Amino acid sequence: MKDKLTKEEVLHVADLARIEVTEEEIEKYQVQLKQLLNDVEKVNDVVGYDDEIMVAPWDDNTTLREDVSGEMLDPKKVVENAPNHTGNYIAVPVVIGENESEGA
Amino acid sequence: MRYLDKPIKEINDLLKEKKIKPIDLVNEAFDSIEKNKNLNAYITLNKEEAIKRAKELEDVDADNILFGLPIAVKDNMMTEGLRTTAASGILKDFVPIYDAAVVEKIKEANMIIVGKTNMDEFAMGSSSRTSYFGAPKNPWNNDKISGGSSGGSATTVASGDVLFALGSDTGGSIRQPSSYCGLVGMKPTYGTVSRWGLIAFASSLDQIGPMTKNVYNNALILNLISGHDSRDLTSSKKEKEDYTRLIGKDISGMKVAVPNYFMSDIVSDEVKEKIEDTLKILEKAGVQIDRVDMKYLDNAVNLYQIIAMGEASSNLARFDGIRYGSSVDDTTNIYELYTKTRAKYFGEEVKRRIMVGSYLLSGENAKIYYNKALSIRDDIKKEFDRIFKEYDFVIGPTTVTTAYNLDDPMDDPSKSFMDDVLVIPVNMAGLPGLNIPVGLSKEKMPIGMHIIGNRFEEAKMYQLASFLEKEINFEGGM
Repeated sequence: MKDKLTKEEVLHVADLARIEVTEEEIEKYQVQLKQLLNDVEKVNDVVGYDDEIMVAPWDDNTTLREDVSGEMLDPKKVVENAPNHTGNYIAVPVVIGENESEGA
Repeated sequence: MRYLDKPIKEINDLLKEKKIKPIDLVNEAFDSIEKNKNLNAYITLNKEEAIKRAKELEDVDADNILFGLPIAVKDNMMTEGLRTTAASGILKDFVPIYDAAVVEKIKEANMIIVGKTNMDEFAMGSSSRTSYFGAPKNPWNNDKISGGSSGGSATTVASGDVLFALGSDTGGSIRQPSSYCGLVGMKPTYGTVSRWGLIAFASSLDQIGPMTKNVYNNALILNLISGHDSRDLTSSKKEKEDYTRLIGKDISGMKVAVPNYFMSDIVSDEVKEKIEDTLKILEKAGVQIDRVDMKYLDNAVNLYQIIAMGEASSNLARFDGIRYGSSVDDTTNIYELYTKTRAKYFGEEVKRRIMVGSYLLSGENAKIYYNKALSIRDDIKKEFDRIFKEYDFVIGPTTVTTAYNLDDPMDDPSKSFMDDVLVIPVNMAGLPGLNIPVGLSKEKMPIGMHIIGNRFEEAKMYQLASFLEKEINFEGGM
């Protein structure tokens, strides 16, 4: 088993996670991420379990809410908590346009 | 003697008879917090508001046992108007606009929040050293970690600032620091305490629970914070119960299973010896102790890595630099806003876990890793079900060693997971787990016993723990 990821593999997971990485960090992550992936690889050696899965450990009250409107947060306060806002709107940079991302 | 050092019933009587006021307790708490400032237990103090609240309570009757008592809250639980950071740079200036369900309950009982405690960033870590605000120190030895992720909560209770703190436990984060700091720490059954307003790390594992110096106080806080909440769809609809009701009752005839894995070579000799001594105390009291083999316990850490990192990558996607929290300026498009904000404001451990988690959930990997982990997770639960058909408790040590040095290296990414090898299986199966201090090491550091109960059997766990508390009389230790 190789002991580090390729640079491309690190850039791929960083893209999935939407985290920018520097050249220096790439080198570090090549080793560290591989170590964690080697850890989790061990589940493939486990045998003897059945096919049933458990997504979360509760079974007595899987519930959906009634489709009625309830209490909500004050929209003014919500908008004010955004780092960039104008009036009743949260401000964001260009989403679709000339500076659109290569990765998004 | 401080009022805060008296038994809680006495404090309550003094308040009822108006011989003391809540402000006396709040002042004692802040005097102690000031004295222990170097331990870095808090990220944000709530002094002004706490004093104001204490004065308001002077005209209110002490109608419940927790009335007027100071409490500390881990900084991943929302407190309206009081900064809540999850110990992350990305929330370093974040002020919530609503209270977590547990915080609502604290306020309804007229308890007084003194501050928000230090922790690992987004509760990811086992030593609280991943905090953006620097690590808290262990009151027993200031060169040692207080554990994590609820390290600040453990520090402030162990140093006597407050009687209670709330922690949260995704893979041992209440029980492990409680063990390192000599406290009673309870991670309740999944679904017992509402997660509404808890900043999510791994939603299928997270539970909030109390950290205290004694069993009775612990049960009182669980009485307060438990109960159904329709805002958390995984909240149990079970009727509320009194968790103190079995404290002090006879334990003879109870049956305990000790999995061989929990007492294997992964545990230090010193810890094992203390646990064996404690098992003998139980045996003498008429408890049956059997050694058992349990499958999959040694796989739990790897399953946890997959499930916790996977869920974390999804939960932390909300930190996008747009809706709340820190954000970088001068980006030209939305992708850059995401990637630069997250690169700048997330710490190392969090970044690693999000990256690996995103990878594990992407495309075919979801089948290769995540589904397989969920499948083995189901079998861990069945393995515990099998044992609980015959036994009342599963018992072992809480941690493999006592607290290690604050300046031990942090360059091994697997270390923070392995520290929790004995406590993680409990979160996998959604069971309740409790740490009870049972003695000190040669270095005079606390050693804890881990009591695992069947689902919703917290009251019985407190019963067993209260017996050990009385027999061992640990509190005299520090």
